[in-house]
Amino acid sequence: MNHRNIRRLVTLLLGASFLACLCACGGHGQLEKAVRSALVRGDTTQAVYDSLCSIVTDNPGKYSDLVTPEGKLDHKKMSEYIADLGSHLRPPIYWDTRRYGGVENLSLTIYFERSGSMVPYDQRGGGGQLKKAVNDLINHFPAGSKVDINIVNDGIYPYQHTVDEFLKDRDIYQSTAGIGDASYTDFQLIFNKILEAQRPGNVSVLVSDMIYSPEDTHGVSLDKIFNEENSLATRVFARYKGKSVVVQQFMGDYSGKYYPYNGVPFNYSGKRPFYLVIIADSEVMDQLAQDKRYSGVLDAPGIRNSYRFNQVTSEVPCRVLPEWKDNAGRFRVKHGDDIVLTKCQGDRQTGKLCFSMAADLSGLMANDALLTNADNYDVQSIDGYTLVINPVDKSMFTANNKEYLEGMTHVLTLTGDFKSPRDEVRISLRNNLPDWVRQSSSDNDTQADGSFATTTLGLEQLLGGMFDAMKGGSSYFDVTINLQR
Amino acid sequence: MKHLVYLIIGIALTVLFFILSCTDGFNIWEQMFFNQGYNDKMFSLDMYPVIAAITILVAWGGAAIYYYAINSVKFDRWYHWLAVMGVVVVLAPVVCYIYNDTVFANNGLMYVGESIKFEMQTVLFAALLYIVASYSMRWWSSNCRHTPLPQ
Repeated sequence: MNHRNIRRLVTLLLGASFLACLCACGGHGQLEKAVRSALVRGDTTQAVYDSLCSIVTDNPGKYSDLVTPEGKLDHKKMSEYIADLGSHLRPPIYWDTRRYGGVENLSLTIYFERSGSMVPYDQRGGGGQLKKAVNDLINHFPAGSKVDINIVNDGIYPYQHTVDEFLKDRDIYQSTAGIGDASYTDFQLIFNKILEAQRPGNVSVLVSDMIYSPEDTHGVSLDKIFNEENSLATRVFARYKGKSVVVQQFMGDYSGKYYPYNGVPFNYSGKRPFYLVIIADSEVMDQLAQDKRYSGVLDAPGIRNSYRFNQVTSEVPCRVLPEWKDNAGRFRVKHGDDIVLTKCQGDRQTGKLCFSMAADLSGLMANDALLTNADNYDVQSIDGYTLVINPVDKSMFTANNKEYLEGMTHVLTLTGDFKSPRDEVRISLRNNLPDWVRQSSSDNDTQADGSFATTTLGLEQLLGGMFDAMKGGSSYFDVTINLQR
Repeated sequence: MKHLVYLIIGIALTVLFFILSCTDGFNIWEQMFFNQGYNDKMFSLDMYPVIAAITILVAWGGAAIYYYAINSVKFDRWYHWLAVMGVVVVLAPVVCYIYNDTVFANNGLMYVGESIKFEMQTVLFAALLYIVASYSMRWWSSNCRHTPLPQ
């Protein structure tokens, strides 16, 4: 081989190597590779985020667009960079890294009802569920969060001890004896004061049995009280736009005197429901639902039922599962913002097309009974697709579908006869006042029989009034899937 | 001049192949073999450009070695050229498979069957690129310029 040929060979190989380098070294190189890998593996923990940050801080010159003029990592830009990269993956993956960037904590204000019928919830011999629910709530806020505690009945009174003393207090009603007038609870005053006092970034929680017991009800009919209760709830909450309320129902041991409406007080030992009413600006409530630092606030272990008022129709992340046991027929997912299945074919034997989507419904703050009941959904399509919803569990995970299931809570499976050349399947989860409210409400509490242990006097009227004021969207979420032959 | 046009067309076709390997909407690697999960991972982990680059490198490298390194009258028959093509169409999918497997393993994924089917495409693309590369560069070879077909 002569020198001329060697030169040509070297030139060609250099050209080819240049081409290879162009594709290998573009963009953010090591950082991009690490982010892609983390997203595909579903390894979206703070430790991984920290390792990504260290790639930037180790080489601030290369990643100057992610660094502040002072030379520190710009978490906002880092978050945008990761979100942008994730949005271009298949399927798009969103990793909320904002919580790692030193965002200021929310503050918590607790309003502890101290009426006559609340005292038996925290007797020394009882299970202490009420106190535990409040303690858990405080502990689910990150360390260092500002926490204030108030006692409420005829008014709002600051708790005179520290938060640590409150947590250790074995008989909270004993230590707060004599505060206010415990013979009645003025919800209008309490809700108004809470809503007026609320500042941005604050979460207010009323701990109550939700029994409306205004002053001087002698001789007033129960219907009249219920109507009053309903309209006051509507009036109060309608005044404060942009607020969102979550009502959580718990069960607790009750031992002591119960004061029925217009009846003779009687002793009762057994279970009784109590409630945590969480009030915050809508965007703060969204943060509580999504920010992992606050996990446990809206999904505490003892919650029996819950409902979020003033919930707008949400965008729910959905990923079509390409490899799934129930899939029948063939389809190809078109990548983009909309869910489009192209090249659809029914199963060769049955003619049915069956596909599944993983969805993250955790942000909806609806309980599993509501989410997994297909009757709560409207499904519209030409070919009459039917829907089945199952919660995601760890046994469903395989190495290859992990990317699609990671961070998702439910699998929505749609089945139909694939006949039309084009079809549009629309799914929406109706947003109605849930059945548990009606089932937990009573209009007679004069005797501890029947459903006394699980019902609250006038709950439907109170929450119904709040629902009228804070209806939110007609559905929790809507998803449309386009099917093309 | 005519030879230079061949070279330019060859480079243009190769660049076009590379571009179509990187796109989302129409990706040349997804036209003959498609498995949603497998191809999604290939795309998300940015493997298509690397697979394309390996195929281009092996094909153009094979042609370059044949025309300028081997470049001997003893090996200027069409079957010598075809033998090098044989090496290229084996080497390219093997290297691509090793790369695929390594990246998938690093990310906890397992796609053995799909990877083997996918690499059948690499055989085809490597062969086509080898022909393109041959017709782009053969004209300046001192001993093999008439291989595979005299012109």
